[in-house]
Amino acid sequence: MEAKELLKLANLNKWYDGLHALQDVSLTIGEGEVVALVGDNGAGKSTLVKIISGAQGSDEGEIYLKGKPVTVSSPKDASNLGIAALHQSLGLVGSLNVFENIFLGREETRSIGPIKVLDKKKMRERAIELLGELAIDVPRLGVPVLSMSGGQRQCVAISRLLLDQVNLILMDEPMAALGVAEGQKVLDLIERLKEKGVSVLIISHNLEHVFSIADRIAVLKNGRMVGTVSPKNSSRSDVVRMITTGEGAGPEGAAQ
Amino acid sequence: MSVSKTNVKTGAAGRADGAFTFEGLGITAVLLVIIVVFSFVNPRFFAIENFLNILTQAAPFIIMAVGMTFVITAAGIDLSVGSILALSSVIGFDFMTSGGHPVIGVAIIIVVAVALGVLNGVLVAYLVIPPFIATLATMVSLRGLALLHSAGTMHYGLPEAVAFLGQGKVLGLPMPVLIALLAALFGYWLLNFTKFGVYCRALGGNKEALRLTGVSVKRIEVLVYGFMGLMVGLGGLVMIARIDSTQATIGTASEIHVIAAVIIGGTSLFGGKGTIYGSVAGAILLAMVANALVIGGADFFWQLVVTGIIVLFAVLIGNLREGRVSMAKLPLFGRTKS
Repeated sequence: MEAKELLKLANLNKWYDGLHALQDVSLTIGEGEVVALVGDNGAGKSTLVKIISGAQGSDEGEIYLKGKPVTVSSPKDASNLGIAALHQSLGLVGSLNVFENIFLGREETRSIGPIKVLDKKKMRERAIELLGELAIDVPRLGVPVLSMSGGQRQCVAISRLLLDQVNLILMDEPMAALGVAEGQKVLDLIERLKEKGVSVLIISHNLEHVFSIADRIAVLKNGRMVGTVSPKNSSRSDVVRMITTGEGAGPEGAAQ
Repeated sequence: MSVSKTNVKTGAAGRADGAFTFEGLGITAVLLVIIVVFSFVNPRFFAIENFLNILTQAAPFIIMAVGMTFVITAAGIDLSVGSILALSSVIGFDFMTSGGHPVIGVAIIIVVAVALGVLNGVLVAYLVIPPFIATLATMVSLRGLALLHSAGTMHYGLPEAVAFLGQGKVLGLPMPVLIALLAALFGYWLLNFTKFGVYCRALGGNKEALRLTGVSVKRIEVLVYGFMGLMVGLGGLVMIARIDSTQATIGTASEIHVIAAVIIGGTSLFGGKGTIYGSVAGAILLAMVANALVIGGADFFWQLVVTGIIVLFAVLIGNLREGRVSMAKLPLFGRTKS
């Protein structure tokens, strides 16, 4: 059960115009571990994810990757560290097909003399390989992703993050707009990411999802870390109590 | 969902994107119907000579429509093409008829047109002026500059080598047709087989997604309008070489013609999706209708009337096809439903 530490956040603080959005927040994520971040609106979940993804800086505190202190001041820094963020509905281009989306901005090319041409064959083969490894079921690769279901699209969006070497994927409400069956596809995919040793930090309001997928649940309230619990040792009502009252779990529920 | 589901794992490698679908089927069918109908109405229409004539007339618009396909695919619009054509051609023409070297004269036309296209791109990308307004403004200002340069002057008498581009023939094919064909092939390649093409489609489809991948969206926007300028320069060159003259008012209302060709062809006005084949077919269709009207003895001004109506129909058909409106909700058609 003891996973090797991948990412450690130590005493992060963030202020927005005098609002103390994050207060001494600490959290560790193990290799191949799925950590769910829960809390009410305004608890600081998205702020925390933005800081890890490099979309925003923190005002105080340290971030360690595999024990080494790192700075994540831009999305590019994050991607160099193997941290990828899944963007809500922003990540895919509806009119492009599956492999054009997966490779967008990182196209494979081949040279004909001085001219560079898209290597569609190579991209298609790598896309098939990637989707196959993750057992993602999509219609033909050449169709615009617009014609696919929400769950399929979300899976394609996640798979494109795996094109580069990735250690941690940040997901902000990845099942939010999906139906039950479609949401299940994404949950299954997260399970397979875990098998591949990829860590996931996921924000979700859906406790059913959280309990089915997470190894640990971290609860935030008003910018403070209430605590982390293991879904095995605690019930949903424990977590709801932590979210609403901001009081930590009893010793039997605490995972850390 | 209409798409048949196949697991990619079982799909044969390399052919997973399935059967070749020909999206230009609709416009091709329309073209064929028009040819048949017009030929019955007036047998003079159905002659090789007349078809070459139509293609020659369509050539400058085909070339410009190739550029406009990229602009509209990238969710932009360029209303200034006629004015860029006028300004670049009067400057280059004037240079050549004043004794300048033809090669430099041609280069001046192209460079001026590209520079003005880039100007549009900078206005759109860096000053964040909506394309419709930015190019409406340059349309007016550049026409003004063309008039300041050559108001009331008809330039004529191109060097023979340049006139050849509009009047010469190679292997029986008029040069304008040949140049248009090459421009279309180049455009097709650029849109479908290069990063630039993918980025144009991504820019029109979801600009934010493209930006998030780290691609410089502003740079692509400038390049798109720059390429439009290049095609205007080339199209303008063919146009003035064919008639061996130019003046400050040349190309007036050509923007509606070029935009119409692209939209009739099936490129989405909302961006993300474009087809070079469709744009070429659209430009030919418009030239055919114009030709039929001329042969039929209709007043030239009817061309404008008909072009506008065709544009409205093309957008309506596009909206129906992309599901933006449904037949049931259209006035006239919808009454039976309610």
